[in-house]
Amino acid sequence: MLKTFLLNLKLFLLYSSSHKLRTFLTTLGLIIGIGSLVLIVSLGNSAQKSIAVQMQKLGTNLITILPGGSEEGKPASQLFSSQEITTLKYEDAQALKDTPGIVALTAYVRGTVVLNYLNKTKNVLFSGVEPEYLLVENTQIEKGRFFNEDENESMAKVVVLGWQIAKDLFQRSDPLGKKIKINNQNFKIIGVMKKRGKIMFFDYDKEIFLPLKTAQKIILGIDHINFIRAKAVNEKLIPLISTYFKKTLRYRHRITEAKKDDFTIKDSQQMLDIFYKTTNTLKLFLAIIASVSLLVGGIGIANVMYVIVDERIREIGLRKAVGAKNSDILYQFLLESIILTLIGGVIGIFLGILAEFLISVIANRFGLLWPFIISWPSIFISLFVSFLIGLFFGFLPARKASQFSPAQAMRYE
Amino acid sequence: MFIKLIDVKKDYLSGKVVTPALRGVNLEIKRGEFVAIVGSSGSGKSTLMHIIGLLDKPTAGKYLLSNKDVSSLSDDQLAYLRNEKIGFVFQSFNLLPKISVLDNVLLPTLYSKETNHSKAKKEAISLLEKVGLKEKITVKPNEISGGEQQRVAIVRALINNPDLVLADEPTGNLDSKSSKVIMEIFSKIHQEGKTIIIVTHEDNIAKYAQRIVTMKDGKII
Ligand SMILES: Nc1ncnc2c1ncn2[C@@H]1O[C@H](COP(=O)(O)OP(=O)(O)OP(=O)(O)O)[C@@H](O)[C@H]1O
Ligand SMILES: [Mg+2]
Repeated sequence: MLKTFLLNLKLFLLYSSSHKLRTFLTTLGLIIGIGSLVLIVSLGNSAQKSIAVQMQKLGTNLITILPGGSEEGKPASQLFSSQEITTLKYEDAQALKDTPGIVALTAYVRGTVVLNYLNKTKNVLFSGVEPEYLLVENTQIEKGRFFNEDENESMAKVVVLGWQIAKDLFQRSDPLGKKIKINNQNFKIIGVMKKRGKIMFFDYDKEIFLPLKTAQKIILGIDHINFIRAKAVNEKLIPLISTYFKKTLRYRHRITEAKKDDFTIKDSQQMLDIFYKTTNTLKLFLAIIASVSLLVGGIGIANVMYVIVDERIREIGLRKAVGAKNSDILYQFLLESIILTLIGGVIGIFLGILAEFLISVIANRFGLLWPFIISWPSIFISLFVSFLIGLFFGFLPARKASQFSPAQAMRYE
Repeated sequence: MFIKLIDVKKDYLSGKVVTPALRGVNLEIKRGEFVAIVGSSGSGKSTLMHIIGLLDKPTAGKYLLSNKDVSSLSDDQLAYLRNEKIGFVFQSFNLLPKISVLDNVLLPTLYSKETNHSKAKKEAISLLEKVGLKEKITVKPNEISGGEQQRVAIVRALINNPDLVLADEPTGNLDSKSSKVIMEIFSKIHQEGKTIIIVTHEDNIAKYAQRIVTMKDGKII
């Protein structure tokens, strides 16, 4: 039995090695399919892991209030809306500041401005925040100071630079006290943030920070804010705080039914959950696309197996003449088809991993935190899928091979 | 009677065309006989051999092998008989080109129920030595001459120690010198007690047999 298996294996390898190119070409579909399957699953895992790590970096025990309502367990409608929702106001944030159980809370507005210093011009992202920002996001000042409440209230033209911006504009000289033009208005630099790195898609080191009201009134000329974020003393208090936020905002916005909420409250864990949910769906979708190429690959396998069977009808006849049963021939060709798909699968897995490795190297070069994760389940699943494809798409050709009458097969030219 | 054919007919069907290859063959062969089948091309010799060798089934008539009607046997039982009881030698050798002479000889043992592989291997080597191929055991079939290839094919036919050896024009692709070597091997096998049936065109090949059966238009005359 084992001996038969080994000899058939040997024969097959000898046989297909003399048709290397053809064998390779016909397994290409499978190789690509398996390769992209492995790559997609691994990339998905890496992306999820990377973002989860970064979300933690952003701070834990965070509660975010976004404008616009949302359905239970879904992302805030703001994410899907092309128009800015203006239901959250600065005053809402102020009303929530003395919520029990929070460390700190700040309103945010965000946007881009043109930065001008000497002859250098830059388009940069800014965050308009309140002084509590440092506490909420658990970050620090490297040089100088952050703005205070008076500067916020009086819409002072002061700015705190992200670490990278300061470095780009001032190299080694001291930026503190210097004047810089923001959208053609003079601002005074009062501080530089500590290096923080990229979190999600934001590079905090390339941002500048303005007092909330300054940003809102002078830069943007708007009346609303983009979101509010608070840090809870500990995780257990989050539900209580959320309830308090809800009640207060409903009261302030004169809302009587939960369905009519014009705001959405999400804590870090919920955001992570939503993130996983949406990305898992995306992963599944991509995997289904990859499966289509697997189907195409499988058809390629069936095709080459028919060719192989046709080329070897005399061999089949001979084997039958010396005593091979129909089932022996069936198993032989099924085995060949499975070996073919397993080889294709292994190559595909290898290429998928290689591609993933290159992507992680390149991503890390560009400063993205991108872990290289080999997903063992996806490898085993890919091998199993290859096996199944070999079995499934090899079956009809193998059965055809097994059904020749020996005399008929021996006469075949 | 070892082999008994009663009014055996065989029609080939290709598309809508029916070719009658055997039109009622009656033949009896005793155990241990050496029979040559001769006849012109297309007279149905190969067809008859295929039926005797269980490679094909008759369209009509009865074939009794060791007094057993083979039409009652399943495909697997037929495969078993081809494997254990019958050795077949073909005009064009039919060796597998990629594997060694020895592996070719061992091919039938792959399909035997209880083969002791080291024993089969020893047997194969000793048989190959007997036909003068001691030196060629590990080479590939395309590295040896036609006569040598046919000797390998004969050893393959003998490896499972069959009762019946069938050869369809075994010397058809060989020169007279190689043909003589091959026929002497068949004589020897016959002397060892096996039943042998060969198909041939040539008189000097047929003369090795004890009995000559002549075919014409799908019948024995
Ligand atoms: N597979 C087939 N399909 C249709 N007709 C066939 C087939 N095999 C053989 N025949 C026909 O059956 C008849 C007998 O063929 P067979 O091969 O038995 O003759 P033969 O005596 O062996 O001839 P040769 O000496 O040329 O080998 C011939 O007319 C041949 O054309
Ligand atoms: Mg013939």
